[in-house]
Amino acid sequence: MSTIATLKRRRRLRHDWIWMVAFVLPASLLVVAVQFYPLLFSAYLSTQDWTLTSSQSSEGFVGLDNFAKVLRNDVFQRAVRNSALITGTAVTLEMILGTALAYLAVGSSRTIRAVRTLLILPLVIAPVAAGTLWRMMLNSQMGLTNYLLSFLGIQGPDWLGNADWALVSVIIVDVWMTTPFVLLVVLAGLSSIPDELHESAALDGATRWKSFIYIDVPLMAPLLLLTFLFRMLESLLSLDSIYTLTLGGPGYATFTMTYYIYTLGLRSFNLGMAAAASWLFMSFATLALLVVFWLQRRWQTAQ
Amino acid sequence: MLSGNLAKIAAQRSLRMLALAIACLVVLVPLGYLVLNSVKPQNEMYTIPPIIIPSRITLEHFEAAFNNPRTLRFLINSLTVTGITTAVTVVVSTLAAYGLSRMGLRAGLLSFVVFIFLFIRFYPRITTVIPYFLVMRQLALLDTVWAVIIGHLGITIPFVTWLMLIVFQDLPREVEEAAEVDGANPLQRFGLVALPMAAPGVASAAILTAFLSWNEFLIASSVTKRQAQVLSIAVASFVTDRGVQWGPMAAMAVIMIVPMILFALFVQRYLIRGITLGAVKG
Repeated sequence: MSTIATLKRRRRLRHDWIWMVAFVLPASLLVVAVQFYPLLFSAYLSTQDWTLTSSQSSEGFVGLDNFAKVLRNDVFQRAVRNSALITGTAVTLEMILGTALAYLAVGSSRTIRAVRTLLILPLVIAPVAAGTLWRMMLNSQMGLTNYLLSFLGIQGPDWLGNADWALVSVIIVDVWMTTPFVLLVVLAGLSSIPDELHESAALDGATRWKSFIYIDVPLMAPLLLLTFLFRMLESLLSLDSIYTLTLGGPGYATFTMTYYIYTLGLRSFNLGMAAAASWLFMSFATLALLVVFWLQRRWQTAQ
Repeated sequence: MLSGNLAKIAAQRSLRMLALAIACLVVLVPLGYLVLNSVKPQNEMYTIPPIIIPSRITLEHFEAAFNNPRTLRFLINSLTVTGITTAVTVVVSTLAAYGLSRMGLRAGLLSFVVFIFLFIRFYPRITTVIPYFLVMRQLALLDTVWAVIIGHLGITIPFVTWLMLIVFQDLPREVEEAAEVDGANPLQRFGLVALPMAAPGVASAAILTAFLSWNEFLIASSVTKRQAQVLSIAVASFVTDRGVQWGPMAAMAVIMIVPMILFALFVQRYLIRGITLGAVKG
């Protein structure tokens, strides 16, 4: 290429680059204003003694006091335990049920397609409405769940009134709402596995179970792991359904991390402590995200 | 032998259908129960044992809801917030994703940008909600739909930019390069060449944004008091009201979810594509 042509090309690239920056600018400005600025603001708040109900401005720098107060707080400790229990159980169940349902729902017949459409409905329902709906379903006296159980001769528990059963209820709602997500992702993963692999395995005499264990699981392992981590993060952050299902109750029985920070910040308006609690939560989430990210990169370079 | 195998296959098939039927019931029964409660007369609502199928269908709860001017307000606010959020997100994010994918950024830098998107999608949002509330108070935007819209944009723009980045990176570059040789400027290459090819992806992104904005509760509840409240808050407000108001509560939930279920059935293909795109390709 002649020098003049190279120069022209270079000038055009630089000219293009200005366009591209202009394309990216509005989104960047918005993200900085609505995400990064509040994040920094929240880091600042975590070191301040500020309760909005008693003072319109901060009452001074308190160092790491807020963090110490949060860590010693009984409700916070309970919220951490609840979050771990709810998310751990719910996401494990979702992975198992979602994967199993995906295998059952493979196919292109009209019935199977209709079934798939029905099964993904909970995904599009607002979590606040899902919580509301299950609040009625699980009402121990007037709800449908215990009424149906009574036909099986089972005296249903006081789902939302008993501390342990309330945790079970939260898990049930999480599983009901998001198992379809796992189903969809596993279906997409399955469709990317070439049929020939299954066919040749079948010719070699492998059972369906064996071809699941030796073909599907290894091929989908990165996808399954990522889905697990995505679901874990999302489940930890969920607030809406707990809000309408139990309001954190009875007592503090179903307070999760997100719910605890929500009430601390937006009900008691203890801004300093809420910010400190959210940064403790954040450090954990960031760690999990780094794992997700690292896995994605590794997976992509492996492909 | 052969008939034995056939019997086994038939048995497996019916077991599979049974399992799927149970799964469908688990999804449909609670939804049906919600709808039944929304049309159940007041005097059949709180009986023990419960009356599941109402003896007659009444629309009194819906009438009461729509006779209350606030319900209309909620509905209009929800439509405004969802409409503006979706329109702005699609325009701003599609442009940004195209710019990012065609800037010729080094791989390391681009993956850093992708990490930022992932981070914004999954970090505990509650962290920024409280400062966001303070900022909106400072700007005197509290209890306006703008506070809700800007808050939603803060979530949807990074998310959709991330999705569209995946879409644009998958497009073949040859046509754009040909257009470039023919003297098309970047805006023309984006609008006339890349965008039509990416149209299904744009549709998926728009649909996901609309669902996210319509269903969102945390931000909407933190920056609104009365005027700018949306449907998610109306539904949630029944929890704290004294006494049990199942009829109105069920009616409000139905008003909120039925449009979205119909919409989902209508755009199912794009919705599923959007949901799996981010998870499968990242």
